[in-house]
Amino acid sequence: MNEQSRKPSLSRDVGGRKTMVQELADLSAVVVAPVDDQVGMLLRELQRFRMRVRQVWPMPESVPADADVVYCEYSPDLARRLPWIPGDARSALVVILPATEAVHADALCHATPNAVLPRPFTQNAVLSSLVLARSQFGYERRLRSKIEKLDDNLRSMRTVERAKAILMATRQMPETEAYGFIRRQAMDRRVSASAVAAAIVDSFELLGYDHQQ
Amino acid sequence: MLFESNKNNNPSRPSNSVEGLIMSNPTQATSAPWRIGVLFSRTGFMSVIEETQYQGTQLAIEEVNEAGGVCGRELVPVAYDPGSDSAAYGHYAKRLMVEDQVSTIFGCYTSSSRKAVLPVVERLNGLLWYPTLYEGFEASPNVIYTGASPNQNSLALCRYLMDTFGTRFYFVGSDYIYPRESNRVMRELLKSNGGSVVGERYVNVYARWQDFVPIIQDIKRVRPDVIFSTVVGEGTVFLYQAYANVGLDPKQVPIASLTTTEAEIAAMGFDVGEGHVTAASYFQGVEGSANNAFVQRFKKRFGADISTNMCAEASYFQLHLFAKALEQVNSLDTEVLRSMVFGTSFDAPQGAVTVNPMSGHTDLWTRIGRANRQGQFDVVRQSKEPVHADPFLIGYGRATQTGSVQ
Repeated sequence: MNEQSRKPSLSRDVGGRKTMVQELADLSAVVVAPVDDQVGMLLRELQRFRMRVRQVWPMPESVPADADVVYCEYSPDLARRLPWIPGDARSALVVILPATEAVHADALCHATPNAVLPRPFTQNAVLSSLVLARSQFGYERRLRSKIEKLDDNLRSMRTVERAKAILMATRQMPETEAYGFIRRQAMDRRVSASAVAAAIVDSFELLGYDHQQ
Repeated sequence: MLFESNKNNNPSRPSNSVEGLIMSNPTQATSAPWRIGVLFSRTGFMSVIEETQYQGTQLAIEEVNEAGGVCGRELVPVAYDPGSDSAAYGHYAKRLMVEDQVSTIFGCYTSSSRKAVLPVVERLNGLLWYPTLYEGFEASPNVIYTGASPNQNSLALCRYLMDTFGTRFYFVGSDYIYPRESNRVMRELLKSNGGSVVGERYVNVYARWQDFVPIIQDIKRVRPDVIFSTVVGEGTVFLYQAYANVGLDPKQVPIASLTTTEAEIAAMGFDVGEGHVTAASYFQGVEGSANNAFVQRFKKRFGADISTNMCAEASYFQLHLFAKALEQVNSLDTEVLRSMVFGTSFDAPQGAVTVNPMSGHTDLWTRIGRANRQGQFDVVRQSKEPVHADPFLIGYGRATQTGSVQ
């Protein structure tokens, strides 16, 4: 919509697909780290990508998660301070690693970061951590929603199978036609095929079709 | 299907010799205890049944430790009480894995609580041992399911009820995942066998006695042949009591359930429970030396007037099955432990059971019981052998029409 107002370089995309840099613009970020030269640079970099940035320190008991990306200083009890349970993260997480102080492998693993940003930062490191975190977080979320849909489909397939069998028996339809019938009804009524199938199975029961025939 | 790959790389089992142990674990010299997580609600509306699951787990842990532990190391439970709050299960699972450094968790009764723990054990690669019957249609690589799935209870129950009482079923359930999903499965089974659902009601999980009165009145009006109940927790007691109060006769129209065990019958009163039907893998009255020993030890530990039940039994045998597998691999590493657990058999109180490597579910016995005046179940039907777990009902499409129940 407001493509025109953007920098010329941003609208150079071909085929209507947003570039990574365009995708980053308007995202929100929380940076949980003390402001020093390094973190100042990180904040400036994020702002340069046109992100809305908020800085928080000292480390709160519960890390704020109302942002698309959370940059958070490593701490051995970081996982406990994250406001979500593992596997149900609400933001992409980048853990900022200390330059010299030892990092505990299990603690890092339990925080389930999508990317890390080791000190000292460079512009390239900031960009790659951001790109990686966004892409990994998005991919994980897509996989999870795919699994949810698969679960749903698995259940509805049984209903569709039953509805198909009913149509084949009561209307002498061949299998492909029975499926086509369900799909057409679904499109006409703008509901899912499984909803139509459930309606067929239900009405079949209501009409008291004799099973033993 | 889902675990085809595991089936192939199931490692050849190391023998129980010292050599095997050294090969499988370089740190075998330690005598530090094995820490395991335990998550059952000992307070709140689910405590009637979950307390017995806690007891089954506790008894098995004590037996393992009395026998010298596993590979000479003691089992030490880290237990939390989520107070019947599903979300709390997720938070405690996180605490167990992140702060207590536990990777194996025994727990959960309701499907909502299991689904709260699921993201945690899946993301951090833990192992949840789930000792409760449930609605099926799930197979997480991070869960070992030791309770019945629908093909191991609903199917036989549906058949028995239709043979004995009639084809018109009235559904009553608590309003959450398990009852709705179980009713979906039961409806499907009924329909493919010529039965029908003549009523369907759900009550809040916090339902009180008076919430069941209008339902019982509706049942008197509709006159079904069978009441199929998926009410769980305290509500179970209220439903059966409301039924008894209006003078309905269990010999004519029984309440049939997959979840009403000896524990709920004791809570509602033996006279109230008498004549009602439950399908389960286990009842206290099951014959056999493994069960006699289990019942005796359970009563000795928790009181002579306390009955065992299917959930306590599953909690008990899964802990022993876990200890048996752990003894072989000497490691709590999820991948290593799981591949050993798959295919492992155990002589459980209900009979021999095996964790099916195809789905991570357990091949269990199918039994139909009718409650008697002593608060126990008389087994009226039972499978000839353990029934293979089929959580996705793959083998039961239209097969029910031709009568292949077991």
